[in-house]
Amino acid sequence: MDGVIMHHVALWTAAFLTLGIISFLYRDNAWYKFCEAVFIGISAGYWFVSYFWDNLYGKLWLGIFPTDPTQPPDYILLIGGALGVMMLLRLIPKIGWLSRWPLAFIVGATAGLNLIIYFASNVMVQVEDTIRPLFGANYAASAYDIVGNIVVAVGTFTALIYFFFSKEHKGAFGGAAKVGIFVLMVTFGASFGYTVMSRISLLLGRIDFLMGDWLGVIK
Amino acid sequence: MTGVTCRCISRAHLPWLVIILAATLLFPSVSSGETNTAFVGVVGDTVPPAPVTSLIASDRKYDNGEAIDLTWVPSIDDRLLHGKVIGYRIYRSENGGEYKKVGDAGKGDSQFSDETVSHGNRYVYYVVAVGPGGQAESIHTAPIIAEREWINFNRKYLFLIGLIIAGSVVYFIETARRGKKLFIRRIAGLEAVDEAIGRATEMGRPILFISGTQDMDNVQTIAGITILGHVARTIADYDTKIRMPVSRSLVMTAARETIKTSYLAAGRPDAYSDDMVNYVTDEQFGYVAAVNGIMVREKPATCFYLGAFFAESLIMAETGYSIGAIQIAGTAMPTQLPFFVVACDFTLIGEELFAASAYLSNEPKQLGSLKGQDVGKAIALAVMIIGTIAVTVGQSWNIDLMNNIADWLNSVFKTN
Amino acid sequence: MRRQVPLIITFCVGIFLIAYVFSPPLTDFGENFSVYFDIIAVFAFFLGGGNLIRIHTNNLRRRKKDWWYSVVTLGAFTLMLAAGLFKIGNPGGIGASLTTSGSWFQTIFETLMSPLNSTMYALLAFFIASASYRAFRARNREATILLVAAFIILLGRTPIGYFLTAWIPDSWSILRVPDLSVWIMSFPNLAGQRAIMIGVSLGVVSMSLRLILGIERTYLGGDKG
Repeated sequence: MDGVIMHHVALWTAAFLTLGIISFLYRDNAWYKFCEAVFIGISAGYWFVSYFWDNLYGKLWLGIFPTDPTQPPDYILLIGGALGVMMLLRLIPKIGWLSRWPLAFIVGATAGLNLIIYFASNVMVQVEDTIRPLFGANYAASAYDIVGNIVVAVGTFTALIYFFFSKEHKGAFGGAAKVGIFVLMVTFGASFGYTVMSRISLLLGRIDFLMGDWLGVIK
Repeated sequence: MTGVTCRCISRAHLPWLVIILAATLLFPSVSSGETNTAFVGVVGDTVPPAPVTSLIASDRKYDNGEAIDLTWVPSIDDRLLHGKVIGYRIYRSENGGEYKKVGDAGKGDSQFSDETVSHGNRYVYYVVAVGPGGQAESIHTAPIIAEREWINFNRKYLFLIGLIIAGSVVYFIETARRGKKLFIRRIAGLEAVDEAIGRATEMGRPILFISGTQDMDNVQTIAGITILGHVARTIADYDTKIRMPVSRSLVMTAARETIKTSYLAAGRPDAYSDDMVNYVTDEQFGYVAAVNGIMVREKPATCFYLGAFFAESLIMAETGYSIGAIQIAGTAMPTQLPFFVVACDFTLIGEELFAASAYLSNEPKQLGSLKGQDVGKAIALAVMIIGTIAVTVGQSWNIDLMNNIADWLNSVFKTN
Repeated sequence: MRRQVPLIITFCVGIFLIAYVFSPPLTDFGENFSVYFDIIAVFAFFLGGGNLIRIHTNNLRRRKKDWWYSVVTLGAFTLMLAAGLFKIGNPGGIGASLTTSGSWFQTIFETLMSPLNSTMYALLAFFIASASYRAFRARNREATILLVAAFIILLGRTPIGYFLTAWIPDSWSILRVPDLSVWIMSFPNLAGQRAIMIGVSLGVVSMSLRLILGIERTYLGGDKG
């Protein structure tokens, strides 16, 4: 019996919050503000708790004090812990500048890591993938593919030309850049059109909840 | 009867006899033929399979001494009579110690990678072929040491090309620092920054700055924060209000540090307040719910969206549009760019986001880096054009030289 | 010292993480970066969470406009913290998984946070409709191209697209909307995506170098820090 009541309370609460968020489409209102306040509080708490158990306890504490006696303590994690504590020194104005050290660590690491990862996985891979025969081996490609291959090659070259910063987009170079921006617009249009249906299906999911699970109008 | 016998051993049949004899010697099990299958089955249950042969252990090249690769020729019974081998077990001795099982391989397998080794130790392996009738041990490998290599030469081309491009960036930074004037084209979205801030000042409304929904380990967020530095400097000059809700605590810290510096540089440290940046929640849509609320309640005149965005991009940009704000967006997320292009007044597309900070700084050395990255694009463009022509001509007219050029370029740019 | 040490840290860590890709013995450190980051991030959350509490407490104390919603936020935040940190109602006790079914934490997540999340996400359907409407009123050539491509792809993913152009003979099947949309996705779209990726990567290389070399330093308190 308790289970049934709890189920109904949960259902009505979810419906209340769902309609509250949707009401924003009409205008900002007290209902939305209430839902927003609940959302912020609950989700901030959710993430703090998750970080606490997963990272502070799971990674740092258990890394240094493993429960498995065969596993050696990973004292190098103390560096991460020390940097984390430094972050909190912002709260002490006199030595607050020390909090820049962990920030500098993160920025340095992100810059170094991304520099090489982006370069290897995007520039190198994309350049390698572009080197393909336009007509297929021994003219094996169909007209459909040949036109497509030419569009890919010319489209990539011209769109890349659009991104040149140190050369003015004038004359032939400017013409190529113009073609490049058209290629980019086709790309954006394709991406836009491709997303529309998936977004509609999200809404259908919520309507299904309201009309089916909550009101039971549709089965 | 005699006649029949005579026919069987006639000279015409001699080659066939030789072939059958050879087959009998080489593949005894096969030559026993179908009629003997039942016999093999019975015997197979009690007779172990033949062992694997040619077992070789080799240290994996260019690694941290953490892997040894084994290869072997599967048991002959695995190749010919699948039922007779059900798999392989790999045994290892470390530094002359006793042998322990380190892994299994399925039937038909001819390799195994032992990734549980430690560099500097000496290992000996053998493989056991396991069948229903028992198991057979191979000969032991020669001792092998898991070596640690300090440089991964598999990535030499990645290093060289990276060095050329990074070198050109550093070269142009230096060139610009020495005073050489470099041309940088106009970027409309960034030209509009001052105007957008001025508009907010005139209207007496705040400026909303969103640096994406990702943390400081995302390079786009860092790009957004570096742009914030320049935007905040202008905001401080104009004495306008900035509002920056963030979805990550680290971003909050970095953003405060950045804005504070900009206000200091503008000679207005007193006007700075930590309240300009506030943490909301790490949850993507919880954050968006709050940002939407801020937009419709505080009606910022200008909204900046610069960083990494996901589905929330359109919700924010459309709400911003509905309140009539000037919107300047920039991201490197190809899936979100269309929404910014449609809903915002100006959009920094991909690379422009990373160039924005250098552009806005107007410092020669920063602008020099943009020229440097153009060299990277020129190299990429040249390689793609030459490669495409070479492979097209080579494959269409079977010209070896062209095919070789294309193959070489492909091998150079292959990262693995 | 205050200005130099962070720059040196950025430089050394940046160079180290570039080197790790080329030097196998450094692999562990590179792979551990995400662990260090997670640990620092959780400490930083004490600042973020503290900021959230401070802002809403101030709203409440000063009885600012809409202060009552700050009470709701603080209440919800405290409730979730208590439910998760002490694992209230968790059948397995303090040692059990946080997301154990029946725990307060999981129940609150499923009852409150999940529907809020899904609904906020679902609002995109309305926003994409309004954005599409605006795109239809294309103001220039670029916007028109975007619109046409979007329209073809959209139609190509619906039965209408198929029925509208099913009459086109097989020899011109490329002009059928579903085929055309596949062609656009496979070729021009690929070209644009590729150029964006190459450009972005070179932009990242350049910006990362500016950061590592200390040319870009606004985030660290700049020159005056």
